[in-house]
Amino acid sequence: MTTAEKAYYVGTDMNCGGACLLKVHVKDGVITRLETDDGDEPQLRNCLRCRAYRQRVYAPDRLLYPMKRVGERGEGKFKRISWDEALETVASQYKRVKETYGPAAAIYLTTGGDIGQVHNTRTAVRVFCLAGGCTLMWGVASNEGWMFACQATYGYPVGNDHRDLPNSKLVILWGMNPAVIIDGCGTAYHLALAREKGTKFIVVDPRYTDTAALVADRWVPIRPGTDAAAMIAMAYVMITEDLYDKAFIDKYTVGFDKFKEYVLGQEDGMPKTPKWAEAITGVPAQTIVEIAREYATIKPAALLPSKGPGRTAFGEQYHRAAFTLAAMTGNIGKSGGSAGSEITQRGEIPFAMGQAMKTGGNPVDAGSPMRKDALPTPISKGPGLVARLHNSEIWDAILKGKAGGYYSDYKMVYIANCNYLNQYPNVNKAIKAMKSLEFIAVQEQFMTPTAKFADIILPTCTFLERNDAVWGAGPHVAYQPKVIEPLGESRSHLAICDELAAKLGIVGYNDKTDEQWLEQIMKPCVGDFEKFKETGVKKYYQAPTIPFKKEIEDIENSPFPTPSGKIEIFSQQIADMNNPLIPPIPKYIETWESRNDPLARKYPIQLTSTHPKRRSHSQFDNIPWLREVDPQVIWLNTKDAKARGIKDGDLVKVFNQRGEVIIQAKVTERIMPGVADLPEGAWYNPDKAGVDHGGCANVLTIDKRSPGGAFTSNSCLVQVEKA
Amino acid sequence: MQTGFYFDQTRCTGCYTCVIACKDWHDVPAGPASWRRVLTIEEGKFPDVFVAWLATSCYHCARPACVAACPAGAITKRKEDGIVVVDQAKCLGKDKCDLCLQSCPYEAPQFGAEKNAKMQMCNLCFDRLKEGKKPICVAGCPMRALDAGPIDELRARYGDKTNAVAFAYSAELKPSVVFKPKLRKSLVKGRK
Repeated sequence: MTTAEKAYYVGTDMNCGGACLLKVHVKDGVITRLETDDGDEPQLRNCLRCRAYRQRVYAPDRLLYPMKRVGERGEGKFKRISWDEALETVASQYKRVKETYGPAAAIYLTTGGDIGQVHNTRTAVRVFCLAGGCTLMWGVASNEGWMFACQATYGYPVGNDHRDLPNSKLVILWGMNPAVIIDGCGTAYHLALAREKGTKFIVVDPRYTDTAALVADRWVPIRPGTDAAAMIAMAYVMITEDLYDKAFIDKYTVGFDKFKEYVLGQEDGMPKTPKWAEAITGVPAQTIVEIAREYATIKPAALLPSKGPGRTAFGEQYHRAAFTLAAMTGNIGKSGGSAGSEITQRGEIPFAMGQAMKTGGNPVDAGSPMRKDALPTPISKGPGLVARLHNSEIWDAILKGKAGGYYSDYKMVYIANCNYLNQYPNVNKAIKAMKSLEFIAVQEQFMTPTAKFADIILPTCTFLERNDAVWGAGPHVAYQPKVIEPLGESRSHLAICDELAAKLGIVGYNDKTDEQWLEQIMKPCVGDFEKFKETGVKKYYQAPTIPFKKEIEDIENSPFPTPSGKIEIFSQQIADMNNPLIPPIPKYIETWESRNDPLARKYPIQLTSTHPKRRSHSQFDNIPWLREVDPQVIWLNTKDAKARGIKDGDLVKVFNQRGEVIIQAKVTERIMPGVADLPEGAWYNPDKAGVDHGGCANVLTIDKRSPGGAFTSNSCLVQVEKA
Repeated sequence: MQTGFYFDQTRCTGCYTCVIACKDWHDVPAGPASWRRVLTIEEGKFPDVFVAWLATSCYHCARPACVAACPAGAITKRKEDGIVVVDQAKCLGKDKCDLCLQSCPYEAPQFGAEKNAKMQMCNLCFDRLKEGKKPICVAGCPMRALDAGPIDELRARYGDKTNAVAFAYSAELKPSVVFKPKLRKSLVKGRK
């Protein structure tokens, strides 16, 4: 018997954090087609990715049944088994590893993935914590350098609200490309509204991005990894031309004098002039002078530095320099200004949300001291523990263990909804590490390059196949009703964890149904829970959030949560680390694999791996509708291409000491000479010789963290040749 | 009455959301057929470059060349709203005839990858218009760069410009579209 078509509003739950609104049409238990938010403006309109979600749900490579490996690791040969056998195997392997090597030998790997409130990757952390503990990670690939800089400078992380953009007279987008990466539902739209209202835009980026094409009045191409030098030279201009806001600096900051001494060259004999910066950055000195003057004199002005340039060696310095410029121009805490931090606008959601299921404390963490280079006042203590592995060092840790100075030897990993092998640096090292492990379990929706290395595969359903709610980067929360039954035998996160906990003999893992969890989490912030379920979304329409407004309006009673209570341009906490590579004032430190590195003789091109248009990181790479509109290509400047005999559309070999990728070239004037860009997230697809044909940038990136924890994927030298 | 499109080229970021939303709504599989398409225009020399996009589809011309070109009478223009539609049952198929495609300067007639594919193209979501909704591409554009409706109303609201980068207006066919075109200006000298 057929039923009438029904439509449901569903908040999306992808790793972009957009949490936009889909209207999903369902007939006879099958999704038939999609619309987006058709309610009041501001509508939470989806981008191309989620508009293709029907193909994602019904993709032929969806994992529908638990499986065990029957071929070699990575070969992709599996046999269907029962849930009982799959979870029994995981439980018994964990118990064996824990008893033989100690709980730290078991690693739980996850990151963004699903960001639902009930079904998220923390639910499995609780399982392993209650079962005896596991090694957890630190070092968020997206923004760890930014986090470090925020904590050191402001005491907590903060972003800007895109609804405030039309109040800016000048916006400087530094490496920021919301037309592609979204950065909160509707950010690009608000940039357009600002431009139409007369806001002036400067875009600083090695590429002329889609966002630059939308708004730029001026494009300032800059060499990757040199952003801090340009910013410090801008400070030089503001200091020597007496253009900075002294009253703001005096009242709200500490340590500016030490920074000034460094900028003027009194500390090291090298004044950080625009000429000095020109040689480093490739930005003409006169351009640096002009943008410094504009940023210092056009008010209010929003400097919006993306986290991409911070994904470099010493990327923390770039963010610290940006915060310092925002303070020098007195734009912090003011409408139309910014704190030198990019878009996120979560401030005004009543903070009852947040993943409610507590981990219960990790016994492995409990026995660990703090790292010497961790800030003593972290937002949460976990990331500062010696027992935690930095995400970019995981493969090295697995291969070397205690002998390599790591906290433990590592024998098994449980990977939840993360294409780890693909999304963390140095894929060829990752493969060696994965092959060396005793046991690998992967909880996934698709046969990803990571899932191919699993011993046991646990199929998870998508967000359209279970009840949940989502809160992304915008001032709204959205419901996620279950619109269809889970495909095949796939299960929700929590359902998998419930049974895994039982197999491990854990009592009291979960005492609530999904609905009870949702009601507990959502009621305090949506009020009428039944109405929320019906409309699918609650939007908060108060005035735009102005970061640090409270502190700036009343610093005496609302100090910054830093040791001094002020914005710390000089950080005593950092000084106490006594590490010259983490200076207490923002400094330019030349990255490894810069164009001056001796390696550049062999590998002369600086590679960036920016966010792709058709993927949310590695999510959606397998979706045909999306693949055809935005093929994976490497951007190469016309000059570099000509010197190598490469024409637009040619297959090229991109390689360095870590690996080799063969991919199509886009020869373009939209990227500066000496720089190439291969968007991250394309699925690794090796041939027999280990050469990747999928275009996976992490085949090439270095697995070495910045001293302050930043990922360094944009500090990467390669050579490009015609394939 | 003539229905048509409005496209604000200054707002388009080439995100392809309109293309995907259309493929999903009308159930068009991955492959050569795409009722709505996005053209990328890249000009200039580093660092003075110019980039624009043209989101394009059938423009439901006032005097459609395809209707006249079709030997099978498969393409008709609806009297009530001027929307040009194709009757696939009458279409001879691409292996036998592609006169509609040859006649159209905007490549609106589309064909799938299957053998002797029948013509398909944008129908302005006339089913949605009838319900008072905007076409799926218009309702989905994250930049609010598209609109659709009676062309007279669009002209009253947005002006009557018929030029845009990478678009050539045919005075003979009279495509039912108005634009806010993107202007070429030097990035080096600044736009203001």
